[in-house]
Amino acid sequence: MALCTILRCASVSLTSSLPRLSNRIAVTPTTLLARTCYKRFLNTTTTFRAALKFTDKHEWVRVDSGVATVGISNFAQEALGDVVYCGLPEVGTKLSQSDEFGTLESVKAASELYSPLTGEVTDVNDALADNPGLVNKSCYKDGWLMKMTLSVPEELNGLMDEAAYERYIKSIED
Amino acid sequence: MSVGKAAVKVLHLGRISYGSALKIQQQHIKQHLDWSSISPNTLLLCEHEPVYTVGIRQAPYPPEEERRLKELGADFFRTNRGGLITFHGPGQLVCYPVLNLGCFKKSVRWYVCELERTVIKMCSKFGINASTSPDTGVWVGNNKICAIGIHCGRYITSHGLALNCNTDMSWFDNIVPCGIVGKGVTSLSRELGRDVSTEEAVPKLLEAFTEQFNCTLTYNGSFS
Repeated sequence: MALCTILRCASVSLTSSLPRLSNRIAVTPTTLLARTCYKRFLNTTTTFRAALKFTDKHEWVRVDSGVATVGISNFAQEALGDVVYCGLPEVGTKLSQSDEFGTLESVKAASELYSPLTGEVTDVNDALADNPGLVNKSCYKDGWLMKMTLSVPEELNGLMDEAAYERYIKSIED
Repeated sequence: MSVGKAAVKVLHLGRISYGSALKIQQQHIKQHLDWSSISPNTLLLCEHEPVYTVGIRQAPYPPEEERRLKELGADFFRTNRGGLITFHGPGQLVCYPVLNLGCFKKSVRWYVCELERTVIKMCSKFGINASTSPDTGVWVGNNKICAIGIHCGRYITSHGLALNCNTDMSWFDNIVPCGIVGKGVTSLSRELGRDVSTEEAVPKLLEAFTEQFNCTLTYNGSFS
């Protein structure tokens, strides 16, 4: 009991010398620590887990440090069937938004891919040459198609976020 | 999904070169893309002079292979469709549906499956028991009676199917059809033990198409 009182006194004297962070929450060392850590955790995740944006042609884009990774959505890979071949562009290819950038073959159907952004191709997923099925198995991760620069970053604002894309898929399926 | 049945226009092109048919398909694709609200879904029907065609996977068919096949008296085309090598020639009914999948279902997997089912339905009208297999196409046992290979861009389809009616099957001996080793090819004539021409197959194919795709067919004698 006495120990608690001592600790409480210590915490009060400690916090009174620190700038007030919030008027609403009682500022104790515990809450201070929690808020700081919580904020730091949030900042970290916002940088590493950039949100996916989607086109109406079912491609997704993820931007990290000025480079956009492009792939196709789960809806698209299901609609295609088992992918047996990926025809992808050469590194260095310059693309405008909506340009055809490649083809995916599945069930004897060759389906065109359309660039979600304007930019230059910096990387292509070579793993798909031997393992095209990655597009089906891991469409948001290992089945990525290409990486490109963003010449017109504002184009991202015109793409759908995940919630809007979910609504869009539902409207197609009806 | 559209309300009511989609309308599909049938165009009989007759005996036509592969290159000319490709140009006509391109014209119809352009119509779809330019006037997306008026969807001119079209079914092109034709027969070709002997020609070997390959799809987007070009690597197995280098220039030497192209030369070899041309020396046999056939033409050779590299196309943007799916599927590997196949043969088209007299006695084979070739059907190119240039459709907007937005009028049906926006899935190429669904579309290819419906094409297979259409041909299976048509075969049953002839009393032939055809089926699908893990390899795309329509099979009677281990022999392919109809090849399928399509292209899709912005939901507009092109290329299509090739049904052997009374084709000279020896042309297939020069290739591994569709890259499938160990399986053969057949035709309506072979299965029925009598001559079945493309003219005889057309009405049954169209009937099966309207039933499977739940659409109405319109006819136009001239080609646009």
